[in-house]
Amino acid sequence: MLSTQAIENIKKAIAKYPTKKSASMDALMIAQKECGHLTEDILLEIAHLLDMPPVQLNQVAAFYTMYNKRPVGKYHIQVCTNISCSLLDSEHIVQFFSKRLGIKKGETTSDKKFTLSEVECLGSCGTAPMMQINDDYYENLTEAKVEEILKTLK
Amino acid sequence: MATVKINGKEITVEDGTLILDAARQAGFEIPTFCYQARLSRLGSCRMCLVEIGGQRKLQPSCVTPVLHGMEVFTENETVKSARSSMLEFMLANHPLDCPTCDKGGECELQDFVFKSGPRHSPFDEWKRRFHEKDEILSPIIVKNHNRCIHCERCVRICDEVVGVSALGGIGRGAKTQETSFWNTTLDCDHCGNCIEVCPVGSFMSLAYRYKSRPWDLKEADTVCPYCATGCQITIGARNGEVVRVRSKSATGINKETLCSRGRFGYHFMQSEKRLTKPMIKKGGRLVECSWEEALSAIKQRFGMGRKTAGIASTRLTNEELFVFQKLVRDVFKTNNIDLDSRFANKWVTSAMVDVCGFREGGVSIFDALKADTIFIIGSAISDENPITDYLIRTTASDKRKTLILAHPRRLKLNSSATISLKYKPANLGDVVKGIVDFIEKGKDKAEGDIDAAALRFKNASTITIFLGADILRLDNGTDVLENIAVLKTLLKKTGKNINCLPLFDRCNQRGAISMGIHPLFLPGFKKSEEEGMDCGEILNAAKNGEIESLYVLGEDIVSMYPDARFAKDAVSKVKFLVVQDTFLTETAKMADVVLPGVTYAEKDGTFTNQEGRVQRVRKIISCVGGSKDDLSILDNIGGFGYKSAKDVFDDIKEEAPSYKDILFDALNNTGVLVNGQGTGGMSQEPGVRSQRQEAIDYSEYPFQVITGNHLFHSGRLSQKAHVLVKLLAEPFVEISDEDAKELGLSDKEVVIVKSKEYEAALKLRVVKGSQKGVAFIPENFDSVSVNRFYTRGEGMARVKINKL
Repeated sequence: MLSTQAIENIKKAIAKYPTKKSASMDALMIAQKECGHLTEDILLEIAHLLDMPPVQLNQVAAFYTMYNKRPVGKYHIQVCTNISCSLLDSEHIVQFFSKRLGIKKGETTSDKKFTLSEVECLGSCGTAPMMQINDDYYENLTEAKVEEILKTLK
Repeated sequence: MATVKINGKEITVEDGTLILDAARQAGFEIPTFCYQARLSRLGSCRMCLVEIGGQRKLQPSCVTPVLHGMEVFTENETVKSARSSMLEFMLANHPLDCPTCDKGGECELQDFVFKSGPRHSPFDEWKRRFHEKDEILSPIIVKNHNRCIHCERCVRICDEVVGVSALGGIGRGAKTQETSFWNTTLDCDHCGNCIEVCPVGSFMSLAYRYKSRPWDLKEADTVCPYCATGCQITIGARNGEVVRVRSKSATGINKETLCSRGRFGYHFMQSEKRLTKPMIKKGGRLVECSWEEALSAIKQRFGMGRKTAGIASTRLTNEELFVFQKLVRDVFKTNNIDLDSRFANKWVTSAMVDVCGFREGGVSIFDALKADTIFIIGSAISDENPITDYLIRTTASDKRKTLILAHPRRLKLNSSATISLKYKPANLGDVVKGIVDFIEKGKDKAEGDIDAAALRFKNASTITIFLGADILRLDNGTDVLENIAVLKTLLKKTGKNINCLPLFDRCNQRGAISMGIHPLFLPGFKKSEEEGMDCGEILNAAKNGEIESLYVLGEDIVSMYPDARFAKDAVSKVKFLVVQDTFLTETAKMADVVLPGVTYAEKDGTFTNQEGRVQRVRKIISCVGGSKDDLSILDNIGGFGYKSAKDVFDDIKEEAPSYKDILFDALNNTGVLVNGQGTGGMSQEPGVRSQRQEAIDYSEYPFQVITGNHLFHSGRLSQKAHVLVKLLAEPFVEISDEDAKELGLSDKEVVIVKSKEYEAALKLRVVKGSQKGVAFIPENFDSVSVNRFYTRGEGMARVKINKL
């Protein structure tokens, strides 16, 4: 169930567009911010708010990797593995995380603290390799830098 | 006009024609997957790539319109190699499990690869695999995601034509799955159009699964026996057993679409409950007998003159109905003949004939839908005539058109309507009256919905009015139709073009009326010399002992006449009752002689749909058990000497002028519209109408009952088709959310529905946006036969709904 505040925000988003459906990406993001990940019930609730067939909303949610369809940890580590980053060995960064946290790509640590994902280009190719943890970018990554960052995440 | 050169052949086509269509007109076949004529253009499968002179890259011909002077190549080496490469990519992820795939033999992918595909594949990678076992997506659909080529035809037809939007492409890239919202069981219209449009074996019919290979099937094109839209269907039978019904993409008014009834409602034909032997009443019990015994009993015991009567179902062919009326009129010497026991009286059917201009010939639905304003009243069109609903939805997606939909229930089509009018069933007439008043008084300011609708009429230039069968059930139906006639005249006066079409719920209702199954007129609407009795009057007379012999052809009066108790009582007083039917109906159980007739797949003939389109019904299987062709039964009793349906049709042509120019043997898949026969306008002054009762106090029963077919059912016939029963097995009562809230009831709860006559426990369905104070109960279930709620003479049933 979405909170009244989230519903309010979705309604505000709807007002920005000529048709209700157009607000689907905004609405999904608002819901994800609140609930962490998108479930069947949440999608049904949003579809009802947007007055659209639920399947069409799920088409949007399923297409974009930034919508989480499964629960994620407190810190969602999203490492870019697109062309610029992979040329600068982002795969190594992913593997480092994997070793350090003891989880594979797409998994969450047992203490529900970290989730590791591989994502498509985040538009920061100039500072590759890079990643996003929750809403923040971390750039020009090296093993040492990653170690540093992990220490700050409590 | 644009002149283009395709593979060196010059052709002139309309501006804006797609290259694909132009090439097909010029006689060149271009393979396509994602292209489907009536769907939005996607251009994603890249099968239809063609080379355009002067352009470096190949272009998809299904989204590129022609330009004057364009030179197109569809068969050269570049194009052929591109085609082959596209197929190679599709096959890269296709499981190639053709030997176990139902589609094998009629698969578009198989055909195209065979024709122009690669013979080798360089792909060495793993193929994607979603699942090992096929998924059952609904009681009718079985889905194999592995075979999907992502043409999205299923998604688009579900959204754009059927209007349900139950399917979507979930995921991205090669991992997309065309499935339901959460890949769980579909809650949709179960029309199976996704199965029909699927070019590969991704969507498959559960009922047909592993039943046959297409080349082992004997197929015949015929007409759907359910509603009066008159869809062309192709029945496939193997070893004398009907195993599937499909629709062809270029055939009939329905093209590739059908509804759940049409597509999956074929099992009744070979149901074990079918009557296979004649029966005769001996010692108060029906016992099987020989045809000779049954027929000679009828010939000896069936009376003659005023004390006899005949009632026929409107699911029979024109030929059978013609012979039936001939039997009743010429042999039994009576005009007491009527169709369909659900309708109010003979005047209202006769008024329908006048208002819809049956004498003026057929009107093609496609011409009718060209109108800028479409008005539908008195029909739950989305349930009753699903394919007409599809056609109207596609038309109404043009925002320049106005669609006014008037019905107490919230229907699927409401989402496409410009104006939705709600009314209580008893006030249907007020809607029409309101529109007439607005126009008559020359008002131009709209107050309320009805005025708004009237204003649309005023501003329209061409109007099509669809009149539903609900009107025929109303005891004041004649008043409503008279008002429609007034409206037509008013609008015609202002130079508007108006078409009026009926929306009927039985396949041959229009044909039956034209064949003279009516107490007021003979075939071809010729006035009968002596006015006969309609169904209600026949039953009333029967109750008073004034009907001695009654011949019921395919109709179940006891289950359908609005007042079950009265009907049963009346029928029981008939001294000699003959019932000719395919099942032992409630009426048949009371008969003195029961004759087993046959279903539409076991006979030849014609149906006339609601437009007035005459289409061929073709025999595909032999008569089940010891049943006999209805035509030969009637012919035997009457001794007319007809040899075949064609013989009868020749006589029909003489008697009914509008059928004069139709050649029985030349009837193809599009059918032929009946001609006009000249005379229009009200031909008969309504005589004594059903007397209005003094006002009855209904305050105790706040709900007005409206009935009709559920989307998955039609009459009682569909109850014998087990797939349809699987879709909906139980009757229900549907009310608006406002009422449910007031009564403190919730969806799916069991409630007590009580009228003066009858009380039953039914499951509740709550629908948002329906008219308050209206309860819908489908007419399709034996367990709670809706006609038990009715009281004869009160027109409409009123009920109260309480918690269990």
